[in-house]
Amino acid sequence: MGDVPSTGQLSVLVAAIAVLLAALFSSLRRWRAESRDPGGASAFSSRVLAKGCLYAGTILCVGVLFWHSHVRGIWRPLEDNFGAFLWLAVLLALFIIYTQRAHPLRGLDFFILPVVLLLLALAIVFGKTKPHEYHETTWSIVHRVTAYGGFVAFAIAGAVGGMYLFATRRLRHKKLLPGQGFGSLERLEHITFLSVTLGFALLTVGLVTGLIRVLDPRRPNSLGPDWYRNPKVVLACVAWIVYALVLHSPINPAFRGRRTAMLSVLGFILMIGTFVAVQFMPGK
Amino acid sequence: MQRLLLLGLNHTTAPLDVREKLAFAAAERDAALAAFAVRFPGCEAVLLSTCNRVELYISRETHGRPREEEMVDFLADFHRIPAQAFKDHLYYKSNRDVVEHLFAVTTSLNSMVLGETQILGQVRDAYEAACKAASCAKTLNPLFQRAIAVGKQVMHETKLNEGRLSVASVAVDYARNIFENFSDKTILSIGAGKMSQLVLQHFAALSPGQLLICNRDAQKAEALAEKFNGRAVDFDRLAEHLVVADIVVSSTGAAQAIITRPLFESLRRQRRYRPIFLIDIAVPRDIDAAVGEIDNVYLYNLDDLQQVVAQNQSYRKEAVAAATAIITRHVEEFDAWQRQRELGPAIQRLYARYHRVAQDEVARTRRKLTTVSETEAVHLEELARRIVNKLLNDPVQILRQSDGVHTPAGQYLHALEKLFRLGEQDDSPEAPDEGDRHE
Repeated sequence: MGDVPSTGQLSVLVAAIAVLLAALFSSLRRWRAESRDPGGASAFSSRVLAKGCLYAGTILCVGVLFWHSHVRGIWRPLEDNFGAFLWLAVLLALFIIYTQRAHPLRGLDFFILPVVLLLLALAIVFGKTKPHEYHETTWSIVHRVTAYGGFVAFAIAGAVGGMYLFATRRLRHKKLLPGQGFGSLERLEHITFLSVTLGFALLTVGLVTGLIRVLDPRRPNSLGPDWYRNPKVVLACVAWIVYALVLHSPINPAFRGRRTAMLSVLGFILMIGTFVAVQFMPGK
Repeated sequence: MQRLLLLGLNHTTAPLDVREKLAFAAAERDAALAAFAVRFPGCEAVLLSTCNRVELYISRETHGRPREEEMVDFLADFHRIPAQAFKDHLYYKSNRDVVEHLFAVTTSLNSMVLGETQILGQVRDAYEAACKAASCAKTLNPLFQRAIAVGKQVMHETKLNEGRLSVASVAVDYARNIFENFSDKTILSIGAGKMSQLVLQHFAALSPGQLLICNRDAQKAEALAEKFNGRAVDFDRLAEHLVVADIVVSSTGAAQAIITRPLFESLRRQRRYRPIFLIDIAVPRDIDAAVGEIDNVYLYNLDDLQQVVAQNQSYRKEAVAAATAIITRHVEEFDAWQRQRELGPAIQRLYARYHRVAQDEVARTRRKLTTVSETEAVHLEELARRIVNKLLNDPVQILRQSDGVHTPAGQYLHALEKLFRLGEQDDSPEAPDEGDRHE
């Protein structure tokens, strides 16, 4: 029974979503206020509110994670859907907090926060109705860590790719005013490429270990002879190919810039599809 | 009586593609002034052509030539373009409005970039060119000298040029939106004019990996390269330089685009599709607008950058008010001075004429009166002088003060000259007075 998040946990999670939504809107308001009057009171209040809400939302998420682990008595991460999605959301929120403190990148929050909110929503939907039951083996642990780790890296790549597309569009249409930028396109491209490189390595390991799991007929997760038709496998493989194309851009520079960013966003959408598809897989 | 006229267009009335059609390079401006002098002899003219404006200031006799349509035709004929191509974008001003406009131009209140000082130099250049062409004389000389002085005063006494964005600073800001690190980037400057120098000054502060200066005049390129610690390169190998460039600042006087889409398309592969930031601050434009449609190419022309700069203006309303007050005071002073200058000789002629009439009448009376002593004769002359002075005092005072919309000094002066025949060589009155008639 402890595997299923309690109403209290879900309530706190809903509160966290509300607070993070406030952080998202405050961040957008801050961006608009700063472009009009960088030193104005509106920009300052929005900045404080956005930061405060981001910190509060992250703390709430961490609190729910601890509460859930405490109730279950299992402190290992990624043990069930609820915990896994929460972990992903918390990692991404922490990435925003770290980046904004160490290497500020304007606008990062309102591109990554929607992903965080999506993950929290998925935690509510799939965490309650379909608790994930894993059979602990070395392969499955490696598979989960690499797959989820890859997802975090791809989420960052997707969000930063989205930033790149937004920024490049505004630059080309001469709508990006001084003070409205997100950091240079060069930096965004660099972050995308780094994230994709890391994510690709993790996804490759995740795919191999996942295949070992699903191809072994002795395991309950086995997909049988039609494993290659499984949506999760198909989506994961397509995502892998997409990211391979992104990594291929230094060799074929025609792919660099906007195309790389578009592929990063596409790859991340496929990764979300993979994570959703996994919820409908038989056996687990 | 001289009439001041202005025909022109600027960034608020005409888009860049119209302005560039009508723009005058330095050599063209000199040729245009010469052509103007031939077509309208005796007429003063100053031609101001910058990236943002083309303005023809003239001074001519009140009922002389050219008229507005003739000025339009002159511009159209000189550039060999139909007048319809730019006519709708023109503004036409006369007399006091011209003075107000020119003062607003030199103080940058009429500029897209409020507080910019470059316009002052451009007005001075235009004025000097007109002086050299001997097309600037008794009316435009003092006008332009005062306009330049007003420009300087506003820049010194107001905060108009403080905290402003410039085209160069905005260009650098955009470059920072594209590139993170400049130590491995190559900046290419095509042209070595003043605008290029201004922009390069800002870009040089970013410590780029390489700074290339490419100009038709190799000596100018060398000089600029030395100034910014760059390297002068051959203009004929522009395509090769474009391959290595990450940022291009183009400001040549070329009449047509020097970087076209086919040229740039052919270089993309060699460039390995690297992003490039093209800053085209030339008028006419050096870079074909279609180049900006290519992937990973960010093309900004002068209008794009200046529009950003213009948005900064709303923050300096107080400085604008102070500058406007200075301009208003100088317009009043100039107007009064000009009126005085125009009226002074006419009033002198008026007094001289009627004093002579009075003295003639005194002499005639003395001839009729046989027993007039010398002392009495002096008194009679003094009497006649005082009567003339008193009679003319009120109209002359009103004439001196006439500066309202409904009492323009020019009209009064014109009436004065007509009514009292002041323009005629022989100032003696033709009509006999009543007494003479009776005789």
